[in-house]
Amino acid sequence: MNKLTYIFPVVIVLFIAGACSDDFVNTQPLSEVPEEAVWKDPGLSQAFVTDIYNGLGNGGFDEQMLASLTDEAMFTHPGRGINTITEARSNPADIGWVNNTLNWPNMYARIRACNLAIQNLETPQFENTSQISASVLKGEALFMRAYFYHQLLRYYGGVPLVDRPYTLGEADYTIARNTFAECVDFIVNDCDQAAQLLDGKAMPSGRTSKAAALALKARILLYAASDLHDIATASANSSGIANFSNKDVLGYTSGTRVERWQKAKDAAKAVIDLGGGYELSLAAPVSATQGTANYANMSLSKNGGEKELIFARYFINAKDEGGAWVGRNNGPNGYHNWAGNTPIQNLVDDYEMMDGSSFDWENTAHASAPYTDRDPRFYATILFDGAPWKPRTADAAGKDPYNEIQTGQYQIVNGSGSVVSYFGLDTRQSSIEDWNGSRTGYYMKKFIDPDPAIVDQNTRQQIPWPFFRYTEAVLNYVEACIELGEEAEAIQWLNKIRFRAGMPAVADAGDALRQRYRNERRVELAYEEHRYHDARRWMIAPTTLGRKAGRINIIGTLKAGKDVKVYKYDPANYDYVYEPLDIDPGIENRAWLDKMYFLPIHRDEMNRNNKLVQNPGY
Amino acid sequence: MQEILQTHINLSKIMRITLSQIVVMLILTGISRAEVGKAQSVLDRNVTLTVEHVSLNKALDKIEKSASVRFVYSKNFISLRQEVSFSAEKEKLESLLNKLLGPLNIRYEVIKDRIVLNKIRTEEDDDPLEAASENTDAIPVADILTISGKVSDADGQGLPGVNILVKGTTNGTTTDADGKYSLQAPDESTTLIFSFIGYATQEVEIGGRTTVDVTLAADVQQLSEVVVVGYGEQKKETVTGSVATVRGSDLVKSPAVNLSNSLAGRMPGVTVVQASGEPGYDGSTIRIRGSNTLGNNNALVVIDGIPARTGGFERLNPADIESMSVLKDASAAIYGARAANGVILIKTKRGKSGKPQLSYSYNQGWAQPTVIPKLASASQFAEMRNELEIYNLPVAEWSAANTAFKQTGSYTRPNGSVVSAPYTPEDFQKLNDGSDPWGHPNTDWFKSTLKTWSPQSRHNVQLSAGNDNFKYLASVGYQNQDAFYKNAATGYKQYDFRINLDANVNKYITTSIGMLAREEYRFFPTRSAGSIFRMLMRGIPTQPAYWPNGMPGPDIENGENPVVITTNQTGYDRDKRYYLQTNGQLDITIPWIKGLKLTGTASVDKYVKRTKRWEIPWYLYTWDKVSYEADGATPKLSKGARGPAEPRLTQGDEDQLNVLLGGIITYDRKFGNHALTVLAGTNRETIEFDNFNAYRRFFISSAVDQMSAGGNPEKNNGGGAWERARLNYFGRVAYNYKEKYIAEFLWRYDGSYMFPKNTRFGFFPGIMAGWQISEEDFFKNNVTFMNYLKLRGSWGKMGNDNITLNWDGSLLEYQYLSTNAFRSYIIGGQEVGTIYETKVPNLNITWEVANNKDIGLEGQFFEGKINFEFDVFFNKRDNILLQKTGSIPQTTGMTLPPQNIGKVQNRGWDFLIGYNTQIGELSLTTSINGGYAQNKILFWDEAPGAPAWQRTTGRPMYTFMAYQYDGVFKDEEEINANTLDYSAVTNTLRPGDMKYKDYNGDGKITPDDQVRNNRTNIPLFQGGLNISLGFKNFDCSILFQGAAGGQVYLSTGESGSIGNYVLEVYQNRWTIDNPSSDHPRIADRSNQYYSNNNTYWLKSSNYIRLKNFEIGYTVPAAIGEKAGINKLRIYMNGLNLFTIDKSSVFDPEATNTLGQYYPQSRIINAGLTVTF
Repeated sequence: MNKLTYIFPVVIVLFIAGACSDDFVNTQPLSEVPEEAVWKDPGLSQAFVTDIYNGLGNGGFDEQMLASLTDEAMFTHPGRGINTITEARSNPADIGWVNNTLNWPNMYARIRACNLAIQNLETPQFENTSQISASVLKGEALFMRAYFYHQLLRYYGGVPLVDRPYTLGEADYTIARNTFAECVDFIVNDCDQAAQLLDGKAMPSGRTSKAAALALKARILLYAASDLHDIATASANSSGIANFSNKDVLGYTSGTRVERWQKAKDAAKAVIDLGGGYELSLAAPVSATQGTANYANMSLSKNGGEKELIFARYFINAKDEGGAWVGRNNGPNGYHNWAGNTPIQNLVDDYEMMDGSSFDWENTAHASAPYTDRDPRFYATILFDGAPWKPRTADAAGKDPYNEIQTGQYQIVNGSGSVVSYFGLDTRQSSIEDWNGSRTGYYMKKFIDPDPAIVDQNTRQQIPWPFFRYTEAVLNYVEACIELGEEAEAIQWLNKIRFRAGMPAVADAGDALRQRYRNERRVELAYEEHRYHDARRWMIAPTTLGRKAGRINIIGTLKAGKDVKVYKYDPANYDYVYEPLDIDPGIENRAWLDKMYFLPIHRDEMNRNNKLVQNPGY
Repeated sequence: MQEILQTHINLSKIMRITLSQIVVMLILTGISRAEVGKAQSVLDRNVTLTVEHVSLNKALDKIEKSASVRFVYSKNFISLRQEVSFSAEKEKLESLLNKLLGPLNIRYEVIKDRIVLNKIRTEEDDDPLEAASENTDAIPVADILTISGKVSDADGQGLPGVNILVKGTTNGTTTDADGKYSLQAPDESTTLIFSFIGYATQEVEIGGRTTVDVTLAADVQQLSEVVVVGYGEQKKETVTGSVATVRGSDLVKSPAVNLSNSLAGRMPGVTVVQASGEPGYDGSTIRIRGSNTLGNNNALVVIDGIPARTGGFERLNPADIESMSVLKDASAAIYGARAANGVILIKTKRGKSGKPQLSYSYNQGWAQPTVIPKLASASQFAEMRNELEIYNLPVAEWSAANTAFKQTGSYTRPNGSVVSAPYTPEDFQKLNDGSDPWGHPNTDWFKSTLKTWSPQSRHNVQLSAGNDNFKYLASVGYQNQDAFYKNAATGYKQYDFRINLDANVNKYITTSIGMLAREEYRFFPTRSAGSIFRMLMRGIPTQPAYWPNGMPGPDIENGENPVVITTNQTGYDRDKRYYLQTNGQLDITIPWIKGLKLTGTASVDKYVKRTKRWEIPWYLYTWDKVSYEADGATPKLSKGARGPAEPRLTQGDEDQLNVLLGGIITYDRKFGNHALTVLAGTNRETIEFDNFNAYRRFFISSAVDQMSAGGNPEKNNGGGAWERARLNYFGRVAYNYKEKYIAEFLWRYDGSYMFPKNTRFGFFPGIMAGWQISEEDFFKNNVTFMNYLKLRGSWGKMGNDNITLNWDGSLLEYQYLSTNAFRSYIIGGQEVGTIYETKVPNLNITWEVANNKDIGLEGQFFEGKINFEFDVFFNKRDNILLQKTGSIPQTTGMTLPPQNIGKVQNRGWDFLIGYNTQIGELSLTTSINGGYAQNKILFWDEAPGAPAWQRTTGRPMYTFMAYQYDGVFKDEEEINANTLDYSAVTNTLRPGDMKYKDYNGDGKITPDDQVRNNRTNIPLFQGGLNISLGFKNFDCSILFQGAAGGQVYLSTGESGSIGNYVLEVYQNRWTIDNPSSDHPRIADRSNQYYSNNNTYWLKSSNYIRLKNFEIGYTVPAAIGEKAGINKLRIYMNGLNLFTIDKSSVFDPEATNTLGQYYPQSRIINAGLTVTF
């Protein structure tokens, strides 16, 4: 008998007995922070609040941009749900493209985070540090809640207002939509509180601020005063709204418009009075070159243009995020980029001539040189045929050593001396990635860093996305003034914006002034996620969003006796013919239906919550 | 204590536990003993015999004849001359032997079919066992003709203990430890019958030979097989659960590198689907009796008794596997909270007694895709590309544009603008006649990128030997698998090493140790297989893969040209995984309580993973179609960098340690006709994991791929850790009466770290019962053609604690805790850390509950010539962990935790029918098996409101909705005749658009007209037909495998301006010239409403394929012996050799609807096994 025979059974029995202690099964997540620790620690509390900003996504710099739902741009690639909306085919089972920065579940998830923060910061459980203050964190959370509700409000109309964090196991989660007025009041109230809590605080870039809170308030009050949300006006323009039984979720059924415009005006003025902005104290127009430079400085947030920013989403090289790929997503195929949100002719045509007159295809001078003498902002916003751009990559340099955009079809002389047709590098018949060519003949330039060291195909940029910039508040102020009949005040501020761009002063009145303002806003804020909302709230969508998208067809014919082997834009060598055409219906067949004023609430959410009322037309 | 113990030992003479090659565990206690395995059936034989005063050897001789048994003993130990007398009348052999041998101090032991006699030893004696087995001798019989030879198994291993009987007599012998035998035969026409447990009985006519070597073929269905079950092994007759098995010797017949791909068609009720063949990631999804839950459906894998080992079983060396059992029903209940989806038990090979045997096997295989999709040629593509351009125009202009394109390549529109055809008539001519390889190539992207055959090889060396006290098996394996690509940067290499040791430390203690070391080396280019095959599907045939001068052509997109991407020109992506797994077991027979045994188990599994991803720029050549070299004729190519702007390196490390400690008490005794096994045990398991990763870019050069050579800006790193733990108690009570009435109760009390304290522990019982009808007299007397029939049934309750997200498979841990995880955001120009609420906690979360019922019938006809097994099952899964996304409004903003809400039922059947026979020298073993499972969602928080035909509840899981295809609008006339409102799907109907059925009859085509389908891409039925043939030295095995009841969704995906079309689309499509009423107009990148989401694209995925085929030849022993070779077998085999299916565009097992995946392999392999 071996001693082991006695020892082992004892060991095994002891082990079995010992296994009865199950403490070791209480493992903990090692890479996460327990909830109860968060609100006792200023650093963690701040980290929680900071994360709420992630609800802003990539700002407006996703591959699909809101501009492509409007008469600013069209999206080149099929299958992204874009034309579900532009062709007015949205329905509750298939809404179409909805970015996560406005998407219903995402917004409400972020609102929950805000509610958690607001609730836990009500009675702070930590001592403020020199860096972190509970009241500032609460102010940030209030602002963000207001921002997310404002996103929902401008797409859906009134939505259920949730101001507390739900818990699991509650008996009833159903909740009705609040009225439009209630939502506006809620947002304004959050903004006011946030502005108060953030008053006098120096906030680093990326965080909100008092100015941002006031700017949000100004925007939502401007929307509130607009045609779409004045039920009387809206009903006159839309049978869908007129026949809708829950009109108060879409707008005001009582009160006066003057009162609402006055509120909007005051709120905008409050932002203006905080100071800031870029080059807005000019008494006369700057030069065209300077106008283009000024506008580029603002869109690129460089050389002082960053002063425009009130609230923005920043990108840095250290973190690879989608919003840093704007150049690749939108740049020309001839640079191996993807040509996503290409400007359409409708936008190009709306840039005034340098002298302040309208562009007109009937005018042969205009039609033969459509990219000459236009509003200087045009040159900072849009890449057009012949526009100078970054150096081509090695494989394209031979065809375009001049680094100019080629969106036309030109004649060149080939090796054997015969004249042949050549499709530009940035067309859909290009020798480079033709399927990524623009369908419109234009490319987006605004927001793309022109630094030649940034090869958009494989290099990120660091341009921030502007949620609120100073000029928007000025434009909001101008709009309210016009609607209140305070035209002199309106014109004064409008001209400041125009002078900065190198455009002459305006002197219109009445509806002409309104139209002038609207065009000014369209041009100044192009690609900044305003047009989709502006066109709807002004109720001009049928003729703008619903209009067929336009493109340009450019033919360059060699002049007699000219011998060009490598194409370059040169009116001395070529006769150019510019022909504006509609985008073919097989590609995108834009249309407008009344229902498109508001997005449908998804059928699944309607099913989850029987108190919800669907928007009209769905 | 000491005194009692001593006395007891003297009385009862505890002997040993034998761990033979099939681990028959015998607990010998004095003369009487409780035995498991074959022994009992031998001992149950009736003997009628009277002897008076004869010598013992004579008496044994008579018993041999009377009871058809063989005695084996050594003359050195057994005195044969002592006289004995006895009288038996229909007495059980066991009782007779007890009476006869007990007084003579002779013990006996049944090993296989032999009864080994030995002297009962006293405490002081040397271990007798070794001596006994080394010096056995058969009792001499009349000396007429001496035949000798060797009996070996299919691997050439000598089989000890094989029964050899002279046909028509009871004369016979058994083979020795090396498988050799010698016996006397009456004449030259004698036929010998070779029989052995687990092998097909073979009859051989000696035909004048004096040396008769025989190879016995394994017989899966033979009775008395030992089946591995949870925490033990059972005789097949006494198994009451539904257990499917496959032997290692069958698995090695498959040339598949990944073991999981060798299982299809071999086990009834085990569904195997291989979705990808990419080296390193080519594993099959295995489902036991289909899918049972909306959560995770993966079975628990137990290797050598240790559950859920890292690395699973996919990469085990098939040559190391003894057997695989799949517990399909309540028999899995002993694994408790992880057993709901069934359990796969794997037992590795262990050493065998005998002289050292060294075997080496070498396999050289060649693989290719099972299916290469047929795509349009350059001119066919060009035709369609032109059509796309036309379809952008208003319909009224189509016809004119079509004509103009064909005639001149240019169409002038009524508004004066000119539309150019992407391909002019001149282009078509060049594409067709191949006269311009620079400008108008006709590229077959698959052919350009893939080679015809990709080599793979496998080497294996195995050494095994042992005696009764110590046995070992050592195995070394190497595998090398190349990818389908030419000059592939992709591949898989594996080195593995295993040692299994078994030792009897003393009479009471036996121990076994297993150790595995393995390196898995996966390597890839810096683009995934998905993106590479996306490129191949997208590759436009009018673009060159290579220029005529051999330089790689331009990119398809983003710098990607597959002929370059698939090589090492983009850098590399390496993944090395190291496993060091050790498990040990110690069995102690408790001397003072008969039948009691303690077992201690421990396993320590270490896993380390190291990844390194090195991305460098690569170069492609483009031609602008206008520049020429100085000669004016040679196109001038420009070389351009693609990919990352500069070299980048990402490295990662993972480290994991699994420790399991366990103890088991087993009480195993037989009381007369009553056999009882009681087992109780406990396991504690812990897993610790941590990882670390780092990233740098801006490397100065591609020459140095080391982290420190990277630049400082934008460098990044990360890391994390987790811990997991489980504690459980389990047991089994098995009882049988004469093996006729069998009952078993299994249980586990299981605690998982996945759940909070109050719901952590659960009790999981299983009850099983069996009735061996064939043991009943009424049956025996009446149904003579049927030698075995058993009815069995089981019910069990098991759990599933594997809460995973369906879309990415990530484990949802700590759902009962309120915690915050980390993210970041850009503030003040810096990336700052943020935290966010991961979910709203569910304080009551617990495991899913499986209620599985099974009834089975199994039997044999004609002495095992035909065998069958049939099971029906009914599974109901409750408490399925699901997020209540169906009913909780999103306005709550909550990230919902899974809650125990779902209910799914799954019912079906599986069967196996086998037939084996011997026709002359031809042996045939064949079996057919299959399994059918159909599940149904009973409840899963589906919101009300969806129309009945779209509801998921009451339907199988994972079904989807689709519009009902109803033909195609052939022309304007048909569109004009249309009365349905299509505005929700398109705002203009055009010829070639698809018609949908207005399912709800409201006159409008809306999303409400989508109908939920009842089928999914998981087949309802899967089965296999196995045929094994042996003829002289040749052997052959064939496995056909098939599936039915599934469907695949084929999509045109990116076909169009950025991708090629499958040929079928080209051939069928609606065109202006040849309008179709059945097939729609082509779309560009699926941009038409009918491109997706309708039944037109659904195809049946039913298939039958020759899954596995092997033919082998064993070189006659006489030839091999001269070279010192014990056995030499050469063979050829193949996998997925051909397939009959309907869809035929992709492999029927494909789950990717776009063909953007690495296809399954067809493998042809040649190999040899040599044993020394």
